[in-house]
Amino acid sequence: MTWCWFALAPEPDPAATACARAFAADGTPAGWILLWRRRARPSHAARRADDRIADPAGAAAWVSLVRPPAGVRLPFDDLAVQQARRDVLAGEPMDAVTTLLSDASHFEGALTVARGAQVQRLADDPFARVFPQQILRVEAGALGTMPAPCGPTIERYGSANPWPWDRFTAP
Amino acid sequence: MTLHTPTAADRRPTAGRPFPDIELRDHAGSRRRLSALVAGDPAILHFYRGWWCPKEQAFFRRLVALQEDIEVAYSRLISVSVDAHETAAALRAGLGARWTFLSDPDRVVQEELGLRETTDTLHDPYLPAVFTLFPDLTVHRAYDGYWYWGRPTNEELRQDMRDISRAIRPDWTAPSP
Repeated sequence: MTWCWFALAPEPDPAATACARAFAADGTPAGWILLWRRRARPSHAARRADDRIADPAGAAAWVSLVRPPAGVRLPFDDLAVQQARRDVLAGEPMDAVTTLLSDASHFEGALTVARGAQVQRLADDPFARVFPQQILRVEAGALGTMPAPCGPTIERYGSANPWPWDRFTAP
Repeated sequence: MTLHTPTAADRRPTAGRPFPDIELRDHAGSRRRLSALVAGDPAILHFYRGWWCPKEQAFFRRLVALQEDIEVAYSRLISVSVDAHETAAALRAGLGARWTFLSDPDRVVQEELGLRETTDTLHDPYLPAVFTLFPDLTVHRAYDGYWYWGRPTNEELRQDMRDISRAIRPDWTAPSP
């Protein structure tokens, strides 16, 4: 399995692999960041994410959470989504990034994790040019650090894998 | 009996031999291992003198044109120099490159690979060279770019990526119903 499930939910879930409270920039509670490593979809709102982003020992972070309005989604091959991936590769890397999806071909948002000096660049998240963005502060215990995408690949490896997963599943 | 002392040329990777799994800092300053950057795909590994060389600037413009193919073709491109990672990052941004640049300012890997350009004692740069690699880092072809025409054309790189992809992709021939 190369993906996990991700959701921003109003309540914690004791069955989640990783779980942490999230807050808006003004300190208003924004819910819970939940990640599950399991096959079955844990909730209707959950989306697939790159498994490497889930880390119960992960440090506190700021995130850019980009999600489409209800009922909206775009093909991964949409030119705006392609260009957002190119722009992510061209820029300085963040601590982690994953696209969000629920089927093999549609882009349903992205989660970008920043720490330290990276945080000020979250407002320029290329995926925020595609769908609305929330910038949230997330407590420790949910989000890890991933190797930066090597580029220049913008395709996904096997259609059900969230970009930037970097290889085909071994046979 | 004569003992042969290995020269720099003896250490240079050649076609059919495994390329060392080198580890260097990338343009963002993070340590990256070659095998992780190749990540199971065919790869082009490019060693360049430095940002200041007009030949490198010309060659990079070709690679930037090729990246549009590479980004959709499940392949990799990695460039290596002795420049500091901040310098490599600036060159990468200026070029519009979206692949990983590696920095070897201490020239440790350069020595290991026998790829120092001995005729430039001012910069001690990498010898311009390109290697096309299988996912297991076996060298498919090695190009010596000391003379500019020794470098691969984009068409030669495309042919190498095709050869390697054909060899490693079990579904290279599209499945029929």
